[in-house]
Amino acid sequence: MKPFFAFMKKEYLEAVRTGRFLILVLLFVLFGVMNPAIAKLTPWMMEIFSDSLGESGLIVTTVQVDAMTSWTQFFKNSPIVLIVFVLIFSDSFTREYKSGTLLLALTKGLSRYKVVLAKSMLLLSLWTLDYALYFAVTYGYNAYFWDNGIANHIFLAAAMWWLFGVWVISLIVLFSSLLQNNTGVTLCTGGISLLTYLLSFLPKAKVYSPALLMNANSLLSGAEEAEAYMKAIAAAAVLAVIFIAVSVLNMNKRQV
Amino acid sequence: MEILAIQNLKKSFGSKKVLCGLDLSVPEHSIFGFIGRNGAGKTTAMKAILGLLKTDGGQIYVCGEKVRFGQTRTNRHIGYLPDVPEFYSYMTALEYLHFCGEISGMDKADLAVRSNELLELVGLGQERHRIRGFSRGMKQRLGIAQALLNRPKLLICDEPTSALDPVGRKEILDILLAAKEQTTIFFSTHILSDVERICTEAAFLDNGRIAMQGTIAELRGMRPSDGFIIETEQEEDAGILIKAFCDLKAGEQHTLAFHGSEERFFGIMQYVAENRIPIQRIERIEPTLESLFLEVTK
Repeated sequence: MKPFFAFMKKEYLEAVRTGRFLILVLLFVLFGVMNPAIAKLTPWMMEIFSDSLGESGLIVTTVQVDAMTSWTQFFKNSPIVLIVFVLIFSDSFTREYKSGTLLLALTKGLSRYKVVLAKSMLLLSLWTLDYALYFAVTYGYNAYFWDNGIANHIFLAAAMWWLFGVWVISLIVLFSSLLQNNTGVTLCTGGISLLTYLLSFLPKAKVYSPALLMNANSLLSGAEEAEAYMKAIAAAAVLAVIFIAVSVLNMNKRQV
Repeated sequence: MEILAIQNLKKSFGSKKVLCGLDLSVPEHSIFGFIGRNGAGKTTAMKAILGLLKTDGGQIYVCGEKVRFGQTRTNRHIGYLPDVPEFYSYMTALEYLHFCGEISGMDKADLAVRSNELLELVGLGQERHRIRGFSRGMKQRLGIAQALLNRPKLLICDEPTSALDPVGRKEILDILLAAKEQTTIFFSTHILSDVERICTEAAFLDNGRIAMQGTIAELRGMRPSDGFIIETEQEEDAGILIKAFCDLKAGEQHTLAFHGSEERFFGIMQYVAENRIPIQRIERIEPTLESLFLEVTK
């Protein structure tokens, strides 16, 4: 286990010393603050624009904002934070292939599966930490300004989004074990995510699609019950484990 | 004992055959020069030894153990220095050596002693900056330190001196000579003067096969002497000799070059003695590795 932890330690050191960790924390906190801020500013902006809107025939009445407005914003911004995360970390493997740093580690007798597992652990732990931070900041402000009780299943909805992120990360790992460069990894991860999203429009595929996990608003408003998501949750979790396992097999066969 | 044995190694990339039946054996405690032109397949052969490439045929044994692609237990015997080594630039040299020691499962106390000792050996003992600011020569030296870290029985260096200036090259060769006490060194190069300086054995790689292998003396002995240079004291004596022996060729000042059999050479010597021609120097033209290399890779 010592080589695994040594490689893991190197991964965290890399995230911290290259500044990725800091950038990510700052961005996620900023996005977390933005959700309630936008909700809070909406009535004020409407007031400013009411004159010009009035001229074009639109009548602005008093806008009601509450925690629900902020949570809607939270889930609208979730894809953006996930994309930022993917863009920052999609080269975790390919950077090492290209520079040849991994080659030296492998010639020291480091097992390849440990590389896959250590890098997966880093990505998952950072995603978990950052998404939790993003959630906690929004939750805190919402509780201060309004009442979080208005939205149903906030924790489940956020956990579902987190799981979708985990599924996307397992795609990054899978494509990193197959491809040589970062562009390929990013495009394939994005492509498969998009394809899954499109497939989720098919009624039969919908209940099993990981993309269903992004549809948190129906859960918040009470339009859907938690049970409706269970199959998609199971599918995303199982697929993520399979993707990582396949990545280990690919990595063992890879010519470095 | 053989530290590395390669039998009938084959590898192609697409339709391009890089190695076609490579046979090689490296004895213990030698400095083995693996010579070949750019693109001859030196790096491919080295990556195959390290189990990083899937080969198309043949066997490789390191310390008697068979090398398997992917799961490379044999690498615990090997220290490897790539042609352009790249490290995690955000670490210091010491941190990097600690990282290497930890992933290869070294004992903590031993690692602390060994890494300091090696940094001293390669002249990076006082270096506290991160690797980001290192010059190419410094990286090459750190590369040797990491390769020697777990006391490998075989040190593989891929063109360790090719990209360096004369000072950097000398430093690396001196370090390799110093490392000879602890390990067997197998290094690829196309710089023949480096081979002549430090190697005990060498092999020429050409067209994916070993064209010639042996100790440096054996290799030189494979070709007869290239002839002699005769320098006379007086210029007119050189003229006299040329008139008498038409196979002598005039060189710079009063030197004459002779290529031919020993018998013929003794004939010239007899003529010189009989006519009492004063001679400045007589020198045998030694076959160089370069002329040998050019001949085998023709």
